[in-house]
Order: sequence, then structure tokens, then C-alpha cells
Amino acid sequence: MAEIAPQKQTNVPKQPDEEVISPWREAWKGFRRNKLAMVGMGIVLFFILLAIFAGVIAPEGINDQKLSERLQSPSASHWFGTDDFGRDILSRIIYGARISLWVGFFAVLGSAAIGSLLGLIAGYYGRMVDTIISRIFDIMLAFPSILLAIAVVAVLGPSLRNALIAIAIINIPNFGRLVRSRVLSVKQEEYVMAARAVGMRDTRIIFSHVLPNSLAPIIVQGTLAIATAILEAAALSFLGLGAQAPQPEWGKMLADSRQYIIQAPWTVFFPGLAIMLTVLGFNLLGDGLRDALDPKMKK
Amino acid sequence: MKKKYILSLVFVMLLSIGLAGCGGSNESSGDGGGDSDGGSADGGTLIFGRGGDSVALDPAAVTDGESFKVTKNIFDTLLSYGEQDTEINPGLAEDWEVSEDGKTYTLMLREGVKFHDGTDFNADSVVFNFERWMNGSEESFYYYKSMFGGFKGDEGHVIESVTAKDDYTVEFKLKRPQAPFLKNLAMSPFAIASPDAIEKHGDKFGENPVGTGPFVFDQWSRNDKIVVTKNEDYWMDGYPKLDRVIFRAIPDNSARLNALMAGEIDLMDGLNPSDVSQVESDENLEVFFRPSMNVGYLGLTSNREPLNNKKVRQALNHAVDKQAIIDAFYAGQAEPAKNPMPPVIGGYNEDIEPYEYDLEKAKALLKEAGYEDGFDMELWAMPVPRPYMPDGQKVAEVIQSSFAEIGVNAEIKSYEWATYLEKARNGEADSFLLGWTGDNGDADNFLYVLLDKDNIGSNNYTYYSNDELHDLLIEAQSTPDEEKRNELYKEAQEIIHEDAPWIPLVHSKPALGGSERVKGFNPHPTGSDTLTKVTLEEK
Repeated sequence: MAEIAPQKQTNVPKQPDEEVISPWREAWKGFRRNKLAMVGMGIVLFFILLAIFAGVIAPEGINDQKLSERLQSPSASHWFGTDDFGRDILSRIIYGARISLWVGFFAVLGSAAIGSLLGLIAGYYGRMVDTIISRIFDIMLAFPSILLAIAVVAVLGPSLRNALIAIAIINIPNFGRLVRSRVLSVKQEEYVMAARAVGMRDTRIIFSHVLPNSLAPIIVQGTLAIATAILEAAALSFLGLGAQAPQPEWGKMLADSRQYIIQAPWTVFFPGLAIMLTVLGFNLLGDGLRDALDPKMKK
Repeated sequence: MKKKYILSLVFVMLLSIGLAGCGGSNESSGDGGGDSDGGSADGGTLIFGRGGDSVALDPAAVTDGESFKVTKNIFDTLLSYGEQDTEINPGLAEDWEVSEDGKTYTLMLREGVKFHDGTDFNADSVVFNFERWMNGSEESFYYYKSMFGGFKGDEGHVIESVTAKDDYTVEFKLKRPQAPFLKNLAMSPFAIASPDAIEKHGDKFGENPVGTGPFVFDQWSRNDKIVVTKNEDYWMDGYPKLDRVIFRAIPDNSARLNALMAGEIDLMDGLNPSDVSQVESDENLEVFFRPSMNVGYLGLTSNREPLNNKKVRQALNHAVDKQAIIDAFYAGQAEPAKNPMPPVIGGYNEDIEPYEYDLEKAKALLKEAGYEDGFDMELWAMPVPRPYMPDGQKVAEVIQSSFAEIGVNAEIKSYEWATYLEKARNGEADSFLLGWTGDNGDADNFLYVLLDKDNIGSNNYTYYSNDELHDLLIEAQSTPDEEKRNELYKEAQEIIHEDAPWIPLVHSKPALGGSERVKGFNPHPTGSDTLTKVTLEEK
């Protein structure tokens, strides 16, 4: 998420006075002072690097079975031990980072895009449109999210891609509601009224004035949502509805090894640890971003 | 079907959320009643934990072991097997005679036996049951077709007529001699059911079974438990000992073991090979080994591209390291298979040279077949632990990985158990893991039932068809001379080996775990156990 912020910077400084420090830079200053947030960012960066360079870092492939070396405890040759197929758990966790981040990032990107769009429409046009969209969100939020995800995967068939789609769908209302409420207040701002007064088209107002000014909460929510998305993907895979063998998805690794929890605890410990760390990282980062971007929340 | 399954799962979850509130009180009152029942009598309640639920409780309509496990205790067969072998013993028939030409069998029935609904068991009920099966179809009684060559009017059908000579004498006339006829009569599927109940319940008989067996069907909650209670009027004096048996489905092997250790169940099958030592070291528990009479295999559906090519099937046969699978997922409690039937069965061909694990050879064969770059296919893995395969998913992953090395990209798929069997039987799988536990200890019950063209659509899930093999198997069926029969079966195994419709994987020695209180339990090689003589000791 870190790279999105500077990119959007170009949209913002359309205001007349040049000398004022941009709000984004100010936020960054605040963010840097927040130690926990920096730790979170460190963890996230670490996993992103793992994912990108998995091919270089991982000592073995994801499915190098050596049945003669099964269930070996952690050692110099296998830092995290081996699983019941004699596969190197460290390597699988490194490749697993790719899957988890991929699912987390793209699921959230999808739900943020669709959710924000719906939220913008609902908030900006109001009335009937707002009522319909908001009620749909209410219905979706009435389900426990994992149940809804299971139902979606049930319709699409179990696979990692479908799990991603399911997670994207269940997160849409979160973004939708957030953006809608933000739009409701931005809509009343003078610059929007001015734009309307000079006869700007609705689409242009929405995308060049309302959206940029609603971006901060989307980014915060997005970061936090990645954490939940990773957790949901792991849960679906654990239930056999997400990643399929031999994909090294962390939740699937947990499920496959749970029968060895006493005999070979490392087979479940490390995947569990990986899930916990990434989720923690994204949560810390998200909290930090919220503090920095949304001064009203600080108190 | 998969979607349907998961949707129903979702529905059940929703339902359970809704019912969570009132469920507790209901259950506790029900349990209270049950306990006081058990307390007043002395036999006690045995809870048998197993890997899957039964498909139906009409034994003639199913072939899965989980169904037989229950029906075996509700129904009796005309003849029965020995305690731990497949020798012929009296059952509902006390005595029998075979004519010189091997075409007429006369059975003298036990008198004074009653069905659970109070009606009398007699020669007419036997005739009724056979007429029901003979007039059935592949849809309804496909095991009957496998064992007796077809239905009324079919050319291959062995039985010409079944008649009641008097109230307690039944005569079977055969069109041609069938060597394993008596063994077939003793099989779980051909148990005698109450004609009244069949007429009363019609299609729903599978949910309302009525037989003459040691236990009376009480209730069935799908995917949870089946309860049977003692038959007070059982013909075997003084038996059964237990008051009640509950068959509980706990799909996960480790969860089932936990339940056993916690005392929630008294007996479990499908003990993970890797857990055997743990159970042995627990002084409250005991390990039982079932005498091995099974085969676990990977079926290669031979009418699907590219598996319709013999070379491809042979190549895949070369690409599986059976010993490694046994060491890893059977804890060594199995032997690698080279034939479709286990060595304990007469007629086993010792001289077959197994396809050794050799990826180079496999690649060469694929090249000859024109699939040098490999191909994509589905590899189905059963969702529940089976005696011949404690963990199908893991075995599938091992096979998937070695197939990948010869360029065959296998996608592992799984369905709910009943759906899995149905779809595989319809020939929808490219390749599928499955197995078979012999039901009567005869080679015919493996080779003819599983691989003959007559049984396509019933138990021959691979759609493998070979006329030469068919002729051999039919000849063997009609040959009473044991030695000559065995020769024919040996020849049949050579043909099957060459055509390679399967990758035979293992013959396992299934392990069961039980509480120390369980006495008199002798696991039967057929995989379904009669619990008539089992007792539960007080601690």
C-alpha cells in the first residue's frame, strides 16, 4: 500500500497556494514518529520482499517431496523442519507469502474499487439510489462474513481464485459505507458547490473533487482489510475451499498438518506464526496510517 | 453435486445457528432417557466410531462398507462366514445340499425365526427377496448384478429360479454352475429382509430396514449416528449381549481417536497407522488388526482421453512409488500391490512382475504413446478415510508429485463420499483413488466384480472392457474344480496386468482401536463386523 500514497499526490495539490506543505507530507511526518506503525511497515515490507524474491530466497521448491525425510524437526538443513511429505516448511512458507499477499492485496483492491464506486454513487446522488445501495450493504453485512464467503465459494467452486473473489465480495459493503459517509460531508464543502455552480459535470466532480478527498479513509480501511482478507483466505483454505494441493497456502498448511500437532508441532507452528505476523503487520500499519491521515481520530 | 454439497453444508450451518439455543435442552433430556435405559439392563451401549455415514440401510442397494457395517447387525444372511475367515457356516439356513451337476442348491431354513416387525421368516420370504432383486435393475441392485451375472431375462444371469419347496425349504436352480454360489449367498448384500416392511416402505426401505438380525433399527440422523437396539427375540440363544449400539460418523481420523481417548466412543475403525503406537501405549485402550483382504488402487478410467491408451496407463503405473507411500502413510502396515486382489485369496498370481517405480521408463512409454509433453488430468481423492487407504488426500498428493515429474499435470479433486462414488461410477473421473475389501473371500469377488465388462456401470468404475478376460472369468465362475479355477484366475491377472486399467497400490492391514472394556470383538476380514458376541465389561 505504501506506494499508492505518493502516486496519488499528484492529484491533490490543485489548491492555489504553493508554499503550504501538502497534507500527505504532513501525514508522513506524523507516521514516522509512530514507532508501532513503523514496526508494522517493517513487517509488511519484509513479507513483500519475501514474496517478490521467493524464487531466490527459498532453499527448495514448494513440492519437492522427499518421503524419506518426512516430519523432521527444525535443523540446520531445514530451518523450519519438514512436513509429512518431507517438504521444506521454510520454503513453503516463503512461497506462501506470495499467495497470501496476492490474495490480500487483490481482494482488497477489488472490493475497494467496487465498494468506493458504489459508495460515491450512493453518497453523491442520495435519495432512491442511496436507499437501494445502502440496503444491499445492510443485507450483506447482516451475514457473518465467513459464512457469506463460504456461500460464494460454494457457488463458484473451491479454488484460490474463487476464494479471492469471495473475499472481495464480502468486503465491498465495508468500503461502500465508509466512502458514502465521507461523500455526504465532502458534498457540502464549498469547493464542490463552486464546481457545481460553474456547471461541472457530475462525473468530473465525483472523480476530481469528491474521490481525492475521500481517499485517506479508503487507504486506512484498505490496509486493515488486507489483514482480514489474509485471515479469511487462510480460513477458507483451511476448510478446503481455497488453495488446492500442492499450493503452499498457510491456512492449507495448517489444515494438512493438524494431525501431527503433537508428533511434529513445527508443522503447524510456523504457518500459524506466518499468518499471525502478517496480520499483525498490516494491522499496526493500518492503525498508524489512520492516526497520521485522520487527525480527527487521534484523540 | 459439489456445489450442492457445500450449499447444504451452508444450510446446515445456518440451521445449527438457529437451533443452537434450543438444542442443548433437547439433547440433555434425550440422553437422560437413554442412560436410564442402559442402566436398567446389563448389556450397556457400545458406541462405534467410524469414518463415514452409511449410504443406505438396504443392503442389496449399496456396496459401501459403511452401510454393510450396520446392515450386518440388522439383517441375517442365509449362510454366514466364520468368525475371522470366509468359510461357509450356517446362517438362516441350517443345512444345505448341492446336486451332482452343481446346478441345484437346496437350503433347509431355520424354524421359528421372526423379523423385527413380528412377521415370520420362511421360504416365502426368501423367494420374495430373490424375486425383488432379480426383477430389479442396475440402478437399484447393482451388487446383485455383479455377483449373479445380471437380472431376470439377461443372458448372463446365473439363477434360473428360486422356489419354496415347503415352508422351510428353498430350492435354487442355476442355469450354469457357479463355483462361489454359497459364498455369494453369505455376503452382506444378500441378507433377507422382511417382505412386509419392503412393501410398506417401498423406496424408503433403505431408511427403515427390517431384518431378522441381532439388533433392531432404531433411528438414523444423517451424517451423525445410527442407533440400533437389542433384538430380544434373536434366534441365537443368549445373544446379543449388548443392549444398544450407536454407529457414530466422525470423519476425521484424529478427531475419532480423540473421542476414543476421551471415552466418548468405545470402538473405532480407521485408526491412523501412525497412531497405532500411541494407542498401544495407553493402558485403557487396545489395538485390533483386521485380517487383510483388500486392495487400494488408482483407477484409470479407460474410456477417457488419453487414458484410453494402454501405453499411457502403463506409463502411469511406472510412476508411482508404492513403498514410499506405504512407509509414509501406512506406517509400514501394508504391502505393495501388483495384482487387483490380495495374496490371501486363492488364485493369486505370484509370478506377475510388478511395474517398478521408474520415471525414465514411464517417460519413454508416454513418448511412444505420443504424449511426450505430458497432459492434464483430474486425480480424485476420497474425502473419507477408508480401511485400504487411511488418508486418500495425502496419497493423492504423493502421486500428483511423481506424475508431475513425467509431465502429467494432475489436479486433485474431491467430493462428498456418496457423490464421489456416484460420479466415479458414472465414469466422470479421469483417475480416482478407491479400494475394495473382499466380501466373500473369492477371486471372483475381486476380478469379475471390479474389472469385468458386465459390471461397467456397477462396480467396474474404470469402464475397462476386455472380451478375452470376460470369457476367462465366466469360465472360472462355472468351473467347480478349484485348481483349474485358480489357473484361469492367474491367466486373468496377466491380462489385467498388461492392460493396466488400475494402478494397484496396496493391501493394507487396517487397524482399529477400542476401549479395554470391549471384549469378544474379532474384526472380520470383509470389513463388516457382527457385534452379536461383543460385550462391554464394567470397569
